[in-house]
Parts: sequence; C-alpha cells; structure tokens
Amino acid sequence: MFKIARRKRKASIATASMSDIGFLLLIFIMLISLINQRHEEKIEYSEAKILEKTQEEKNLEIWIKKDGGIFVEGNQISPESLELLIAGKIAEEPTSRIHIIADKNTPYKFINDVVNVLQLLQHRVVSFVVKEELR
Amino acid sequence: MIKRFMKHAPDDSSSSGALNDLSFLLIIFFIVIAGFNVNKGFLLNLPVKDKPRIVKTADLMKCRLTADGAILVDGKSLTLDELRTAVSEKKAEWPNMTFLLLIDTNTEYQHVVDIIYEIKQQKIENFSFRMEDSDV
Repeated sequence: MFKIARRKRKASIATASMSDIGFLLLIFIMLISLINQRHEEKIEYSEAKILEKTQEEKNLEIWIKKDGGIFVEGNQISPESLELLIAGKIAEEPTSRIHIIADKNTPYKFINDVVNVLQLLQHRVVSFVVKEELR
Repeated sequence: MIKRFMKHAPDDSSSSGALNDLSFLLIIFFIVIAGFNVNKGFLLNLPVKDKPRIVKTADLMKCRLTADGAILVDGKSLTLDELRTAVSEKKAEWPNMTFLLLIDTNTEYQHVVDIIYEIKQQKIENFSFRMEDSDV
C-alpha cells in the first residue's frame, strides 16, 4: 500500500500582535493619567487608621500649608478669591466635591477660614483628606 | 574539520516575548500609580451658619481641644483612649447624643483629625465642631 506522508505542522498561537496591543494600552493609560494629573503641594499629610473613600467624579482640592497658604490647582489664593472660585466651580459643576487637604501641623484657624467660606456659600458636605496610617 | 551548517528558521515576530512582558509591566505600573490619586478621609456635614440647633443638655458632650492637643471634657483632661471610653459610655446612656468639639485657634490639624477619627469610629451621628472664640 502506498502512503502519502503528510507534513505535520507545529501548532502555535500567533502572539506577534500582543506587544502592539500592550504598547497601545500603555499609551492610552499614560495619556489618561496625564489628563487626570493633579497639582500636589508639598505637605505632611495628617494620618488616621481607617478612612473612607471621599473621591467623586468631579473634585476641587483646596490645599492648606502649615503657614496658612491656600492653594488651588497650583495657584496660591486668598480666602476672598477662594470664595469666588468655589462659587464658580459649584455653579459650573454642582455635584463637585470639595476636599480640604491640610498639613498636619497647620493651626486650625487656617482651616477654619476655609470652612467659613464653605459655610458662607452654604456648601454642606466637605471632605477632610487624610492619609492612611500604616502600622 | 567538517562543519555542519544548520538552517535556522527566520526570526518570527512572535519571538518578542520580552517586549510583551515589558509593555504589560508598564501598564500595571501606570494603573497602580493612577490608584494613588484617590482621596480618602472623612466626609463631614457642615452646619448652617447662624442657625443654631437646640440640643438637650443631657444629650450634649462638650469637648475642648487645646493648642497643645490636650483633650478636656468637663474640665478633666483625657487621653484619646479615655475619650473613646467616655464617648461610648455616653452613647450607651444617650443614643442621640451630640458631640461638640471646641477647637483652639492654634491647635494642630492632626489633633483635630485624631478626635474626628474617634467620633467616626463610635458612629456618633450628631457631631459638631467649631473654633473657639468664633461665631461658626
């Protein structure tokens, strides 16, 4: 009997496009993280053991340094201009969450100034941002 | 010497395994970094200005936080642990209790955070805070 020998092909999965997909995803995530870039001020965070997530879709971060300097998006502002800025932000995006991020050594009077502005604008919910204590 | 030449298959693009690994490691790195930007802390409701709330004296627990971080309840100095016990005892007796925190102007923020943390842990619903010598 005559047998035709068939050439056996080695089974393989083509993974050539994997690196392309990987790098496309990488570029996408890098761009997204660039868009979501936040202006951080150099502060020593106050700490607590258990915290809740206070982040919302729209956020406004108010940074307070220990010398009382108030910063929003990298710019130092006075309590008077803070009032205008918050009012504008809330008018633009009513669901915005206000975050107070203060240095742990900041005297409370400086935080109280910001709280006063929020009360004046009748803003009810405020997030006091704290870092999780690792013990 | 007889040299035997072996035929090598031409490099196929699927042999770039290290590149795949590298790209996915970078993706994981960026995803993790993105997770660091989430704010955590305490959500507090600010009271309405110039609209005082009437509270029964029996329900009220007044706590004073001095500039050096000392906690004073009814003129008695307490540690954080003692405050925790005092609050839980008060809550057991008066479930609708109100905790009022009076903060000195120069108290460091960390001391305020410590008290807020304890109050949140005790699940006190009526929590009010204001700076001493202010009309907040």
